[in-house]
Amino acid sequence: MMHNSLRPTQPLRLVDAPPSPSSATAQATIRVEDLSIVFDAARGTVIAVDRVSLDVMPGEFVSLVGPSGCGKSTLLNAMAGLERPFEGRVTVAGGPMLGPRPDVGMVFQQPHLFPWKSVRRNIAHGPRALGKSKAEALRMADDLIEMIGLTRFANAYPHTLSGGMQQRVAIARALANQPRVLLMDEPFGALDAQTRAVMQDNLLELRDRIHATIVFVTHDIDEAILLSDRVLIMSAGPGRILRGLSVGLPRPRSSAILTDPAYLALKRDCLDLIRTEGRKAFAQMEAVT
Amino acid sequence: MSTGRHDPANAARRLSVLVGVLSVPAFVGLWELVARSRIVNAVLFPPPSTVAVAVLDWINSGQFFGDLSASLFRVTAGFAIGASAGIMFGILTGQFRLISSLLSPLFHILRPIPPIAFVPIVILWFGLSEAGKLFLVVWGVFFTVWLATHIGVQKVDRGLIRAALMLGTPRRQMLSEIVFLGALPYIVVGLRTAVSISFYTLVAAELAGAFSGIVYRIEIAQQNMQTGQVMGGLAALGLLSFVADRSFAAISERAVWWR
Repeated sequence: MMHNSLRPTQPLRLVDAPPSPSSATAQATIRVEDLSIVFDAARGTVIAVDRVSLDVMPGEFVSLVGPSGCGKSTLLNAMAGLERPFEGRVTVAGGPMLGPRPDVGMVFQQPHLFPWKSVRRNIAHGPRALGKSKAEALRMADDLIEMIGLTRFANAYPHTLSGGMQQRVAIARALANQPRVLLMDEPFGALDAQTRAVMQDNLLELRDRIHATIVFVTHDIDEAILLSDRVLIMSAGPGRILRGLSVGLPRPRSSAILTDPAYLALKRDCLDLIRTEGRKAFAQMEAVT
Repeated sequence: MSTGRHDPANAARRLSVLVGVLSVPAFVGLWELVARSRIVNAVLFPPPSTVAVAVLDWINSGQFFGDLSASLFRVTAGFAIGASAGIMFGILTGQFRLISSLLSPLFHILRPIPPIAFVPIVILWFGLSEAGKLFLVVWGVFFTVWLATHIGVQKVDRGLIRAALMLGTPRRQMLSEIVFLGALPYIVVGLRTAVSISFYTLVAAELAGAFSGIVYRIEIAQQNMQTGQVMGGLAALGLLSFVADRSFAAISERAVWWR
């Protein structure tokens, strides 16, 4: 992959990384081919996702960035099996996504924890649902609780936790099934700036310990660059991928790099790109209509 | 500005507590006075002392506990059957559009008919048997619980269901845990309403003809002009449904344990 060729000693630049690199697609973990998703709305049909193709490689962290309503969440839901393709197809680990699958985990913008279950039992829910014994499920839950640093709150109910803590539990709950793919739909979007920064650092640490392929939806370009190996920039109405960019920042990373001059140069490039591509797409749309 | 025991707000509160405590005894005392003063006909409007004697006789004759257990059985068994069926159908119609299309129109036509209106047909179907009485209570409880459950299921956070789907929750567990517990706060409200409905329908069922029961005893006493016993029966019925409502309120606060 392209970002591997970049060393921190080199000047940091954004490098084009097409959504579907034609060379190494054979072993892609997630494969989206010519995917279109159409919704029935009050005034006719709305094309939420328009002929999108992309590949995500094993262990890769890919962000989908775009304005609200650009179809990035719909695209993610299609990868989750929660949304059926109108055209095209989504395959994960070689199998088509015909519905939710336990090897594909998801974290939503809201934690959506089961309010009647304690933190432990929320996390143990997945393994129990998949037929693990109660003792084993709880043991897995306890390991994850330790990993997210909430041991003191293992028996607490969700409503007694802060938003950031709840979202950490939601991440642990999704990880309990040891998913091959972890999909995250603006998971830190509802949190305050300070909590969000802590959560981003936590996710960077967590990422080195789990071996999931991650697709992360956000509208925050900082967040996308900080976390990702590759950033896919989407345009609104209809949802398309404008450009794919490889992030050559060294790992391990932390939110400290957000003030690094090299990072800022990177971000400027990225924002310029969004602006010009956005203008182009806008002009195209106007030309059509 | 006044302080301490001269605080007017404090004094007003004490007065209202005192009035509250004296309310029922004062009413009973007034009733006793009016009934004994021959302003009203004491046969139709017996004093509380006469009512108390009638209730003691009722208990001493051994009939009271027979009547109490007969009524209690009808109410609890009818409530249990009607509520379970209501919850089950509410989950099905709330969760599955096809089942809702099939059953909801029918339920919405039957629901507004007061259960008491079914007494004549129930007598034709079941005679004076216990089954007929149970049927009336079940009928009354069912629709209230069904509607509350149906609405509750539709208000279950879709996000919870999606989260459960992503975790591989089997369909059976989805209904019995995620959907049921998600709707539980609504179901509990429906159940509490159904408690008082079960007592209304009990009255209708026993008035229609029975061989024991509190309301049956009230009716027999009325036919014998035993007004003391009639009022004693009313008091017993009031006490019984009051206790049922209070205990259900206590249970329902614990039912939604995560709040």
